[in-house]
Amino acid sequence: MAAIASALLLFGGLRDTGPRSQQDRIDAITSRLACPTCQGESVYVSRASAAEAIRAEVARQVGSGLRTDDETIAYIEQRFGGQVLLLPRSTGIDSLVWALPIAALICGAAALGVVFRKWRTADDGDPSADDSALVDAAIASKNLTDSNS
Amino acid sequence: MFAAGGVSSSIGRAFLLVGIIGSLFGALASISSARSRDRTVARLIPRFAILIFAAAVGAFAIMEYAMITRDFSMAYVQKVGSTATPALYNFAAVWSALEGSLLMWVLILAGYTVAVCFWLRKKMDDVLANWAMGVMFIVSMFFFLLSFGPANPFAVGAPGVFDGPGPNPLLQNHILVMFHPPLLYLGYVGVTVPFAFAIGALVTGRVGEGWLLATRRWTLFAWGFLTFGIILGSWWSYEVLGWSGVWAWDPVENASLLPWITATAYIHSVLVQERRGMLRVWNLSLLVSTFSLTILGTFLTRSGVLNSVHAFSESAIGPWLLTFFAVIVLVSIGLIGWRGDRLHAPGSIDSVVSREGAFLINNVLFALFAFVVLLGTVFPLIVEALQSRSITVGEPFFDQLVAPIGLALLTIMAIAPVLPWRKASSELLSTRLFWPAWCGVGALGISVVVGATGFMPLLTFALGGFASGSALRQVVMATRKQGLRGLVGRTNGGMIVHVGVILIAVALAASNSFTHSQELFLKTGTPAYFSGHSFELIKIVEETTDRAISVQALISIDGGKAYAPAITKYTKVGMNIGTPSVKTGILGDIYLTLEPPVKQDSGEAHIKVFIKPLLVWLWIGGFLMALGTLLAAFPGRRRKPTDATSALIGSNDVE
Repeated sequence: MAAIASALLLFGGLRDTGPRSQQDRIDAITSRLACPTCQGESVYVSRASAAEAIRAEVARQVGSGLRTDDETIAYIEQRFGGQVLLLPRSTGIDSLVWALPIAALICGAAALGVVFRKWRTADDGDPSADDSALVDAAIASKNLTDSNS
Repeated sequence: MFAAGGVSSSIGRAFLLVGIIGSLFGALASISSARSRDRTVARLIPRFAILIFAAAVGAFAIMEYAMITRDFSMAYVQKVGSTATPALYNFAAVWSALEGSLLMWVLILAGYTVAVCFWLRKKMDDVLANWAMGVMFIVSMFFFLLSFGPANPFAVGAPGVFDGPGPNPLLQNHILVMFHPPLLYLGYVGVTVPFAFAIGALVTGRVGEGWLLATRRWTLFAWGFLTFGIILGSWWSYEVLGWSGVWAWDPVENASLLPWITATAYIHSVLVQERRGMLRVWNLSLLVSTFSLTILGTFLTRSGVLNSVHAFSESAIGPWLLTFFAVIVLVSIGLIGWRGDRLHAPGSIDSVVSREGAFLINNVLFALFAFVVLLGTVFPLIVEALQSRSITVGEPFFDQLVAPIGLALLTIMAIAPVLPWRKASSELLSTRLFWPAWCGVGALGISVVVGATGFMPLLTFALGGFASGSALRQVVMATRKQGLRGLVGRTNGGMIVHVGVILIAVALAASNSFTHSQELFLKTGTPAYFSGHSFELIKIVEETTDRAISVQALISIDGGKAYAPAITKYTKVGMNIGTPSVKTGILGDIYLTLEPPVKQDSGEAHIKVFIKPLLVWLWIGGFLMALGTLLAAFPGRRRKPTDATSALIGSNDVE
């Protein structure tokens, strides 16, 4: 079963889907760019005029076919200023936004490991006389109800 | 000053003042009853609860009355009222800006307070119940104060105003404005109830399991409202905002998602505490985080610190909310520390491969999820504070980080439901996972055959199939044994919620990965083609009312019924709102938006077409989640307390 699943996954994941349409490229690029005047919306989403301008420029770049997606984004960033990136950079203080989740993942996994380890070696102690009495009473009443039914 | 409006304002504020005083005395009565065990004092508590509810209803009614009678002497009516707003949207205009929405918060909170009090009416001499009521009253007092002071909805406006702009155009063009905000608030505010009991349990030291069981349904309903509110919000976004998306990772959306994540984690991990008595500190922390995140979210989005499409204008409530948030966190941490000795539970988890082990992993994933969302939301603030430059953390960031967490959650969702408590052998796992795993392979096979590509979406479909196999296995086994009763109860209802979640995950993966769009320039009589469909402009219709001018392009898809994307210009606000038109289908939606400029007589329209596969399953999944929550709230068949913890419910023979 695992073999079938991985074969299907590999086949589906790697097969060639043909070239992307220009509109698909424009959509992909603009959804990585921030609209400079509208607080956190992407150019893809926004209908503000500043976003229209960037969208038109992206369409022109894609239409000319000279730049790749990443190059187009770099070009737009250079032309419209550094605030058009929706994705924080991975340098300087901005890299924290990427590093912290990874650190949190490692901490979480480590904490889980420690906790499971502790529990596995934990000694619950022997049951006290009270505990045994409780269990005996419960078993007795269960036997009683079972034999009645 | 002595005009009619001045009177309404004064009465409204008087109601709020009564609410403040009633909450104060309610809190005093609850706490003193808890300390002195004086039953005469305890009998006063319900009266104060009824009093503050009456005060809140009164204040809200005055606001509605002012809005309905278009009382433009009030500043709030000047801001969101208009003679041209239709009655329904005018009614909803009360919660369309900060002050009114806080008033609705007050109303719902007072409603919960009186409901909890009614529920506890026979237990008013119980110390824990008293403390819980005390917390409810204190929180109520805070919100009454907020509404009375910094966010006063009853302020008297400038004289000589006889009309206003009306609510934000987005809040007056779809019926959902009636349901999305109130439902979301029912969820947010509902979290106060389990929080109050958590604090009560900590103060009294009765941190055992009793109160958890007791508040289980309250938590479940609050969670259900939150879920349904969020889903209605995304439906609204899709049907109204016209950018073809359902979720934009906007700060306000994130603020509603954060408490949902921690509440979801709690709903799962509380089962470990019920069954095994463990994870007490963790569960209390989750409840406290959920409640404090609702306050933090309100602070972030309602104080002007972060801007978003949902943000209201700046106001003075920021410091209040931030202080309240700090107090909640400090008091809770202090209490948890103080009761640390009692919180330590005996017992241990034997194996990672067990139901409780899976719940722990689930909780770590949810905690990570919450952390990522919180970090992404506040990170621009941090950078701005440290380096005084602004950056944007947007959709791509969240998509990249949340997708793997989602896949991990789907994986655990596939395996956990078949795991027994305590320990599982590998033979047992392979027997129980056999059919669910084949469901996963089947889903993957179908996806590949219909042409899906890419590792992430394919993994989502495969794991979705696997996880729904596990969920359905539980439901099928339960209904075989118990008939229709196998559909109710926490486990079975929970599995139906799981199926809903899986449908949502699949719909999101499909629509995010395989959406295609195209701009089309249509001329009447000449159809255009995209993605195997034809689009023909029939005509352009213009309609003028006193509040707006609306231009619709009637477009026939595949020669069939006409769809009418529109652009509406709200004349008083001077804002253009595009309204999409969606042809919904089981396999995918065709989503049309009209792009400006449009001229009525030109016989031409510029439209954008989005083909969005499987999107309708998002709403079906949301409906299933709501249905499953309801089913889970009904008591199902319980395991006999004397049976082994691994025994199947409703049978004595172990599988």
